Amino acid sequence: MQFCRYKIYISMSIDVTTQHLLSELEEKTEKQLQFAISVLQNLNENILQQPSLSGGWSIAQCLWHLNSYGDYYLPKIESRLKAPMYETAIFKSSWLGSRFTRMMLPGNGKYKAFKDHVPPAKPDARKVIATFIQQQEQLILLLRQAKGHNLNRIKIPISISRLIKLKLGDVFSFLVAHNQRHLEQAKRNLN
Amino acid sequence: MIPHISSLRQLVQGIHPMEETELEAFLSVWHEVRFKRKEIITSAAELEKYLYFVCDGVQRVYYVNDEGKEATLVFTYPPSFGGVFDAFLQQTPSRYYYETLTASVFLRASFADIQKLMHAHHAVETFMRKGITAAASGLMERITELQCFSAEERFRVLLKRSPHILQLVPHKYLANYLGMDATNFSKLLNRIRI
Repeated sequence: MQFCRYKIYISMSIDVTTQHLLSELEEKTEKQLQFAISVLQNLNENILQQPSLSGGWSIAQCLWHLNSYGDYYLPKIESRLKAPMYETAIFKSSWLGSRFTRMMLPGNGKYKAFKDHVPPAKPDARKVIATFIQQQEQLILLLRQAKGHNLNRIKIPISISRLIKLKLGDVFSFLVAHNQRHLEQAKRNLN
Repeated sequence: MIPHISSLRQLVQGIHPMEETELEAFLSVWHEVRFKRKEIITSAAELEKYLYFVCDGVQRVYYVNDEGKEATLVFTYPPSFGGVFDAFLQQTPSRYYYETLTASVFLRASFADIQKLMHAHHAVETFMRKGITAAASGLMERITELQCFSAEERFRVLLKRSPHILQLVPHKYLANYLGMDATNFSKLLNRIRI
């Protein structure tokens, strides 16, 4: 009897930490989505296609770049979350996973986009924004679905090298940080 | 007192003024609930257990056919009533989904409570009849618009009725509501600046 109670207590405390991570990522995604809905989708074509002052990506290109990650990861995450749940466990970021997410933080260097993630010069801006919004809605649903799954055990090959796999928890963290990075970049084009 | 109950009181008095005792009885059966973005509140084939009063956020009632094609019938936003009202009043399985398009706050009342109040107070029943009549009238107007108005006219009517909706809701839902594809909606958006 005592033992049982102990076990229940442990499994609850484990859940809290992982759920906290997922809720935090959902809140960040919610804010990013609100920005896309209230601002980005209402901008006119010219502003969306305007390169940055330094000749960098336009808003449409920034979002195209983000969509290329969503196109790759979201269907993979979705199909993995359809599989029966493993036991839940406390999520622990891998060394590589946390490094990828850290690289995305503001001020942490500039990186060249990988071939498949380089946007065309003039993507269809309205379509790009609509796709971005659609993907963030989907991401929010996936973050909710992930509660109760083992975020350590589900591993997904990364988009730029199919040989390297990241834990689902790291993939989520990376995606949200990466979105943040390029939305900040897009925002700078508005000033 | 529950927050938002005063805006419910105001809406009720605007539709059908009641005596204070009747109004108090009516207002006593509502409870606050919150939902996040993209949560399905009522599913097709389920009973609609509640009548909703929208305090915050935007929601939609929509139909999905066997191929997964969606038809957005109505949006709800504050201060108005929400839910699948035909399924609610008939207590039959809903043909539609009711979902949040943004984080939302509601007051809601159960069918049993509303039914009891309608039996006990004539004014509540009259209020319900007037409310449903207004909803039916809105739907008839919308069917007329769908059949007679050009895409551009429908777009203008929507923006006149709900000027802030462009900033609140992903445009794909607006395009779906207006019965046009996303490309046409974008063209109108580029052309017509309000």
